[in-house]
Amino acid sequence: MTAWRLSGLSTERAGFRLGPVDLALAPGETVAVLGRSGAGKTTLLRMVAGFQTIASGSVRRDEDDVTHAPPEARGAVYVPQGLGLFPHRTVRRNVAYPLELRGGGGAAAPAVRELLDRFGLAGLADRRPPTLSSGEQQRVALARALAAGPKLLLWDEPLGALDLMAREELLAALASIRARDKIPMLLVTHDPTLALSLADRWLLLDAGRAGYLGPVGPLVAAPPDPFAARFVGYENVYAGGDGGGTRPGFLGSLADRFGPGGLAVGVPTADAPSARGTDRFLATVDRVEPGPAGCTLAAVADAVPVRLRLPPGSPVPRRGESVSFRLAGVPVAPIGGARAGEA
Amino acid sequence: MSGAAQAAARGLRLVASGSLLALFVVPIVALALYPPLDTVLAEAADPAVRASVAFTLLASGIALAVTLLLGVPLGHLLARRKFPGRSVVEAAVALPVVVPHLIAGLAILLAFAPQSPLGALAVRLGVPVFATVWGVVLVMVYVSAPYTVLASELAFRAVDDRLLETARSLGASPTAATRTIALPLALRGIVAGALLSWARAVSEIGGLLIVAYTVYPSGPYAGPVTSPISVYIYTVYQISLAQAAAISVVFVLVAFALFVLVRLVERAGGLPWRAGALPL
Repeated sequence: MTAWRLSGLSTERAGFRLGPVDLALAPGETVAVLGRSGAGKTTLLRMVAGFQTIASGSVRRDEDDVTHAPPEARGAVYVPQGLGLFPHRTVRRNVAYPLELRGGGGAAAPAVRELLDRFGLAGLADRRPPTLSSGEQQRVALARALAAGPKLLLWDEPLGALDLMAREELLAALASIRARDKIPMLLVTHDPTLALSLADRWLLLDAGRAGYLGPVGPLVAAPPDPFAARFVGYENVYAGGDGGGTRPGFLGSLADRFGPGGLAVGVPTADAPSARGTDRFLATVDRVEPGPAGCTLAAVADAVPVRLRLPPGSPVPRRGESVSFRLAGVPVAPIGGARAGEA
Repeated sequence: MSGAAQAAARGLRLVASGSLLALFVVPIVALALYPPLDTVLAEAADPAVRASVAFTLLASGIALAVTLLLGVPLGHLLARRKFPGRSVVEAAVALPVVVPHLIAGLAILLAFAPQSPLGALAVRLGVPVFATVWGVVLVMVYVSAPYTVLASELAFRAVDDRLLETARSLGASPTAATRTIALPLALRGIVAGALLSWARAVSEIGGLLIVAYTVYPSGPYAGPVTSPISVYIYTVYQISLAQAAAISVVFVLVAFALFVLVRLVERAGGLPWRAGALPL
């Protein structure tokens, strides 16, 4: 049961500055690191792993200062994007690698067999990573990381390019590590599903600066920026001045209540254009995107793009046709402002 | 591109490739056909020829071992480290490739002549250079090592940094990560470079004409007084073209047999660079 504390951690590389980042990880806690490309997510992981020079601040593992310890002495296992599986070793010998280094019996060790069984890899043990599916490769990376007996798991984009079923499997595996092994995890992700289902807290990075750090609830209620708004599931995100408060129409009606700043809006339901009601707005369909929960319509209302959900079973409109929608009951949150509400 | 233009391009490619291949093969065929078979057999049985071939294989084998021992770490250094004076090191590695080998032989002779400080030291250490197997090894290493260094550098550079970082993160020291991950993954490239180096070493003549035209028994070589095979063939050529061609055929067959053997072992998975088989 290990706790970690990053204090005022910062670095500078080729003109890019990251930090200071302060983060305490309790035993078994999972923190998702979110941010746009280039925000410094991977750099943060690499600093903690020992691959990026730390300009100032410290990394403590329980009572030990490991700020300048070499990567192999930190107890933090780093899984890079692409997983870093060794192509010249079989699955079994990939998983056995950390044990071989410690002189722990290598591929024949019972611990290796247990890990192969636990992650459903026993039948693949003699195959090489390049011949496996991406889901299988993720499980190998996970089993190998656990074989090292990590005190912290640092994983850059765990869900990578997995298909739906492989994602479910990996999420379950990561959840089991959290529940059973109580290993703290710092995960970089672009994937809301992963962050929502696995992370206890979220850390937002923006251009190298640490922003929001906390549970997801407040983030949904008041996303600090358009990126965070999209990430927590608002599909209609408008920066300040996107028609809000300056023109009539649906954004104008929202601006009356939430102010002229940026707005994060959920997905209104699309109805027939003839539907009646005082607070109805008309939109012109630009694109139809089929999905498991019915079609999503990319439409334009009052010269502003809006995404609408078409209930399953409804007739699908064509491009250029009109639909109507209401904002009543749709979640709305001001970006960077007060708390959210419903329109 | 129209069908006719495509056909013309294909024809051009065929002619270009065919011409070069013919250039490679035709002279060897001419060489093989020139000496009568009984002359080839007689030369193959001649103890002097056998001594020269055996000596060349011994010296080139030692040179290859030295080349690998010194060249692979240098290739690794060039691939993985940034350090001041790196371009000077790169230029030094290229030096033996650009300096004509006769001149290289002269330079080595002057550097290691018994009266020079280095030569005196070599004599004191029991590895005199002039007219010994050590001189032959020195010249062979000088002319052939750059190929191993450059091939190793490329091979190490091709190893994904993320694999090495992952290994470190899983508990490997820098040395262990190199030994268990970088080296096995680079081995194919290193072996390809080593084969080139060996081929270059056995074909060396320029430097050897100066440093070790005649070789006396010393160190690991206990055979009769002889010459490296290229020097030996050159000497015989001045007397008899047929004999020189016959000895050449004998040596080409030996070298080719060795090359085929290495390839066969590799194909059968018997060499460690078959991925994963390396017991590291």
